[in-house]
Amino acid sequence: MRHKDGEIVIKKLLIANRGEIVARIIRACRELDIKTVAVYSDADQNAPYLKDADEAYNLGPANPVKSYLNIEKLIEVLKISQADAVHPGYGFLAENYAFAQAVVSSGAIWVGPPPEVLKAIESKCYCRRIADSVGVPVLPGTNEPVRDANEIFQFAAKYGYPFLLKLDKGGGGKGIESVNSEEKIKGAFERLSRIGYMAFGNGDCYIEKQVMMPRHIEVQFLADHFGNYVCLGERECSIQRRYQKIIEESPSPVITEEDRQTLFNYTIKLAKAMGYRNAGTIEFLRSEDGSFYFMEVNARLQVEHPVTELVTGVDIVKSQLKIASGEKLDVEQEEINLRGHAIEARVYAEDPLSFVPSPGKIEKLVFPPANGHFLRIDHALEEGLSVPPYYDPMLAKVIAWGSTREEAIRRLREALAGFHIEGVKTIIPLNLMVLENNSFVSGQFYTGFVRELLAAK
Amino acid sequence: MEQIVRAHMPGLVARVVVNVGDRVQKGQEVAVINCMKTELSVQSEYDGVVKEILVKEWDEMEVGSPMVVLDVE
Repeated sequence: MRHKDGEIVIKKLLIANRGEIVARIIRACRELDIKTVAVYSDADQNAPYLKDADEAYNLGPANPVKSYLNIEKLIEVLKISQADAVHPGYGFLAENYAFAQAVVSSGAIWVGPPPEVLKAIESKCYCRRIADSVGVPVLPGTNEPVRDANEIFQFAAKYGYPFLLKLDKGGGGKGIESVNSEEKIKGAFERLSRIGYMAFGNGDCYIEKQVMMPRHIEVQFLADHFGNYVCLGERECSIQRRYQKIIEESPSPVITEEDRQTLFNYTIKLAKAMGYRNAGTIEFLRSEDGSFYFMEVNARLQVEHPVTELVTGVDIVKSQLKIASGEKLDVEQEEINLRGHAIEARVYAEDPLSFVPSPGKIEKLVFPPANGHFLRIDHALEEGLSVPPYYDPMLAKVIAWGSTREEAIRRLREALAGFHIEGVKTIIPLNLMVLENNSFVSGQFYTGFVRELLAAK
Repeated sequence: MEQIVRAHMPGLVARVVVNVGDRVQKGQEVAVINCMKTELSVQSEYDGVVKEILVKEWDEMEVGSPMVVLDVE
């Protein structure tokens, strides 16, 4: 129950998503006395969080296009349930302009940035132009989509190899090609344009010089409707497989207080220039020499938000709901101190070495022993539950806190070693390999870490 | 005689990459399945000619679901 000028704003929230994030959002709603409406496809009818929601509606077949990506159906549920707001979670329609606009047009509140912001930032080139215009460094590249292969040859002649060809409207690790020689330009350009048309209905590509041995550092921020902004520290997300994160932590082991102030400054400049509201993340690349470059905006709640919650004490989902209700930020930048260290491991249902997906039935499930508020496990698992082949492979997030990075890593290792899932394969053995690796423990790594770790095996 | 190329993993049909009448060789990709957002190649186990395509994009597959019918000499 939220108030604006004495009027209750959000009374009932539709959560347009599936899996652990639904359970996470329901927890926040309970603390705010907001009723919840969950949705599910035929493949998710036994999901444990459906019992915790006040209402639950079937969206139809397992196929996400007919269920979790079906805007018409979701708007129908919004109307039938009389929910007055929608939280899109992450993935699916979380950054979809058309869905956000449909929610707003039907008179409900969109818990996220304004639809017109979502529309504009769909284009990575637009984001690069904005960054350029406010003095935030971007990598050498093009700020408009390239028209033909000739333009790419010209770029290569000026800046050399390697560089990345990226889809202007790509995302989720899809639509990126590394080009390291002249012969590869035409093929990469044609392939990427085709993938773009097929996956996103748009084949526009742009160029970005490739940083060798980069680290992926991102800043979480909140923006209210009164021009207030607050940065909730950074997250180090360099441990990835196939451009997708598997281990995240806050603070980053390489970021100095001076770096942090620089990144906060960049983040707020960008958020202001974009007219951003609600919670968001700005991703940066850090090159080996310690320079930072703007990468992209994530206009949603992120999978890895818990590490920030553990070091700042700020509940990001509750903050999103309050901002969406028209409340002012109740925390100022000076009050944000990163306390201790938090680290998260994503547990995917995959073979830990080949990453071949492993859907199936969870035959046995033993959670790690409790460790007070030092350990948090966000999941939507239950013994006997089927993990469907149609959606993301993430089963759970295990997040540990420690007064130092070493302590947090140690606690996460202990937790993962005590987490037993049978019936599907998981990447827990890989998570443990990373967490036990000396280079990782000493903070010496970059985004190619997992690839090199596995190649050395 | 007829042989059927079947799904080796569950998921959704991402695309079928052959047409009726195409000659395919053993080991050649005939379709792609999206399983947990990962694309997996479905390959023919036979040399033959595509006689019938039984699936379309987004169809739900289980292990063993028939996908493509081949005429095999």
